[in-house]
Amino acid sequence: MPNYLAGAALCLSLTVTGFATAQTDNVSRTASGKPDFSGLWQALGNNQWNIEPSAAKAGPDWQWGALGAIPATLGIVKDGELPYTPSGLAQKQVNQADWLALDPVVKCYMPGVPRANYMPFPFQIVQSDETVVMAYEFASAMRIVYMDQPDFDGPVPAWMGHSRGHWEGDTLVIRVTDFMPYTWFDHAGNHHSDQLEVIERYTPAGPNLIMYEAEIRDPVTYTRPWRMAFPLYRRMEENAQLLEFKCVEFAEELVYGYLNKDAPDDRVPPRGMPFTIQEQ
Amino acid sequence: MTRHNITEKNQGKSQGFTLVALALGILVCGAGWAQQSDWQVPRTPEGQPDLQGVWANNSSTPLERPEFFGDRATLTAEEFQELRRQAEEIRASGGDALFGDGFLNAVISGEVQSYDPATGNYDSGWMVDRNLENRTSLIIDPPNGRIPPMTEEGRARAQQRMSARLSPTDSYLGRPLQERCITWGMPYIMAGYNSYYQIVQGKDSVAIIQEMIHDVRIVPLGEKPPLDERVKLWHGDSRGWWEGDTLVVQTKNFSDKSLFRGAGENRLFTERYTRVAEDVLQYEFTVEDPSTWERPWTAVINYTASEDPIFEYACHEGNYALMGILSGARAAERAGQIPTE
Repeated sequence: MPNYLAGAALCLSLTVTGFATAQTDNVSRTASGKPDFSGLWQALGNNQWNIEPSAAKAGPDWQWGALGAIPATLGIVKDGELPYTPSGLAQKQVNQADWLALDPVVKCYMPGVPRANYMPFPFQIVQSDETVVMAYEFASAMRIVYMDQPDFDGPVPAWMGHSRGHWEGDTLVIRVTDFMPYTWFDHAGNHHSDQLEVIERYTPAGPNLIMYEAEIRDPVTYTRPWRMAFPLYRRMEENAQLLEFKCVEFAEELVYGYLNKDAPDDRVPPRGMPFTIQEQ
Repeated sequence: MTRHNITEKNQGKSQGFTLVALALGILVCGAGWAQQSDWQVPRTPEGQPDLQGVWANNSSTPLERPEFFGDRATLTAEEFQELRRQAEEIRASGGDALFGDGFLNAVISGEVQSYDPATGNYDSGWMVDRNLENRTSLIIDPPNGRIPPMTEEGRARAQQRMSARLSPTDSYLGRPLQERCITWGMPYIMAGYNSYYQIVQGKDSVAIIQEMIHDVRIVPLGEKPPLDERVKLWHGDSRGWWEGDTLVVQTKNFSDKSLFRGAGENRLFTERYTRVAEDVLQYEFTVEDPSTWERPWTAVINYTASEDPIFEYACHEGNYALMGILSGARAAERAGQIPTE
């Protein structure tokens, strides 16, 4: 797998310019001596709205007032603006102009990777030597990371991709491929194709902090690989635990409401996914 | 049994592939799993019994004992031989699919009750090979192998729910939770239909992955305060501990919308996971709810090891069936017809 090896090498070189090396003396470890990432984690910073820097602005619905406005973000994309191809940029602009209708997570579709990691919901890691599970509160999305099967190719395209992991020192490196083309990176319409490949790096920085980096490769949408980086914080509440946000029940009126027998006049078929049935 | 519609079909080849790829050879076994005397449960580096892997519930045994068998918990050797013969016949017939209890019931009665009589969508191509056991019911207690009688309160609640039921085609709210891709419930015990689970053990928690609608239950081990009882969950709130080599999981705080055989938010659900052979995980559950049944009841399912991985079951993402059902009903109304279920 030459592609894979090249990815590992590139990531290794990125670490030097990335976060500082882990404080290995202060990290919870498994019986096998690897950092133990088990627990409940969450990103801060509102980057689910926009992974690039942006000022605060009004939200789509005035009735929500201040609560519905969109906060400012510092951005998590490194090395300047996203290197879109011309067609990739054109699609981003279409997405952005109509984001509320087109963004898949508004309809409770699984958010994909890396987006699931910086949604405003926690996710829980359960880690064994062979397998790492990431269970996300949003949409009950989940990933199985195969640590013991580096050559296991993705059997089918998946919304959350296909994840294989390995260790580089104390860093958990996960290569994610075999994505569906439909997921986005944020509410601002940043997107990818089915050629997306994500190389994630989880590096412990103390017992309650993970420094996260992701390298994004998608030669259809971008002119070069780019990367994002942000911290993941352990949820420290004494009673912290993963709850349910099975959001299908909150998106059904949006997705299917127009098909109800007594649908109000303002219910129309949603735009974007799913490819709706047009009522006569 | 709830009839599921063509939701999965819309995920295209991948879903069909899942079922075919996960097909196991027919396993034949008795009531107890013959163990080699020197077999010991494998252990994790932490020293816990290692229950990890992908496990299949493809048991042919129905939840409740068919009345035909009376008090007999196991089949006779002749009956078991006949079960095997008929299973092979059903498999070779290429007819309708049989999931869950439908399999043994078809063998007993000689009549195949189609899982999906309306569309004929589910044929034998959807079926995995079933794990043939000589047991007559998954329920081991009460001894008659059947769910205990409902209390008066339970019957009244069931009646109320029946009368409050919405039309099945007026709104998405009238469709079953499975078709809406919300959940197949907790526990999901129907055999032979994406009935795969994966267990992953961390140091202080266990993840129980259910392939159906990609649900993961995280079970914390050891001391952890219970979740506030005002937080109700579709799959409840679980706490786990080890009793010898058995993982015990107790779950409560169920949402009242999350029904199990007529029980709702009051149920207390206790599971016991024991690896009894290299390739068999014994799954025992007890459900208690004095507001629903006259007594608790307990069932045992033998999960068998699967070589194949869990697939992503993107249910809601491909749920064109729900649109089709409602759209079809509206079209029927426009044509002056009454929509059918």
